[in-house]
Amino acid sequence: MEGILWYVLTGTRGGRNRIRILQAVDERPRNANQLAEDLELDYKTVRHHLDVLVDNDIVDKSGDDYGAVYLPSDRVRANWETVEEIFERVE
Amino acid sequence: MSLWLDAASAAATLNVVLLTALVGIWARNYLEFRSKHPLGLLVFGLLLLAENCLSVYYYVIDPEVAALLRSAAPVAGRAMTFVQILELAAIVFLAWVTWD
Repeated sequence: MEGILWYVLTGTRGGRNRIRILQAVDERPRNANQLAEDLELDYKTVRHHLDVLVDNDIVDKSGDDYGAVYLPSDRVRANWETVEEIFERVE
Repeated sequence: MSLWLDAASAAATLNVVLLTALVGIWARNYLEFRSKHPLGLLVFGLLLLAENCLSVYYYVIDPEVAALLRSAAPVAGRAMTFVQILELAAIVFLAWVTWD
C-alpha cells in the first residue's frame, strides 16, 4: 500500500490534485460535485481522479451512484502515517 | 538496411519526445514533493532519454557511424529496430500510466 500511495500521489501528473481530494474527504466525506466546487476543479477532472483513487483502494465510495460520498478507505487509514508524510511535503 | 534504420530512427525519435514529456512531469513532482519515488522515475527517465538521444545521434547525425550503419548488412539494422520498437512500446505504456 505504501508504494501505491507514493506512486499514485507523487509519481503521476495528477498526483497533486489527488492529494487535495484525499485531504478534502479526510476532513469530511464529500460527493464529486462538492469536491469540484470546494477545490475549484473541473467536475470531469474530479470524477477521473476519484476513479483512480477508488481503483487503487485509497478512497471508498459510500451511497448510490448519484450523490455518493467519498471517504478514505480502511486500507488507507491503516497506512495513515504514509499519507501524513505525503501531505507534509505539499505544504 | 536503410529502411530498417529509418524505422529504428523514427522509434528512437518518438522515445525522445515521450521521455521529454515524462521527465518534465517527474521533475515537477520531484521539485514539489522531494520524495524518492519521483526522484527514481526522474533519474531513470533521464538515463533512458540520454540513451535515446545517443541512438538518434548515431543512427542519423554521426557522419561516420550513420553512413557505416546504412551501408552495413540488413541483419544488424533489423536487430536494432526490434530493440528500439520494444523500448518504444515500454515507454508508451509508462506514459499512459504516468499521464493519469
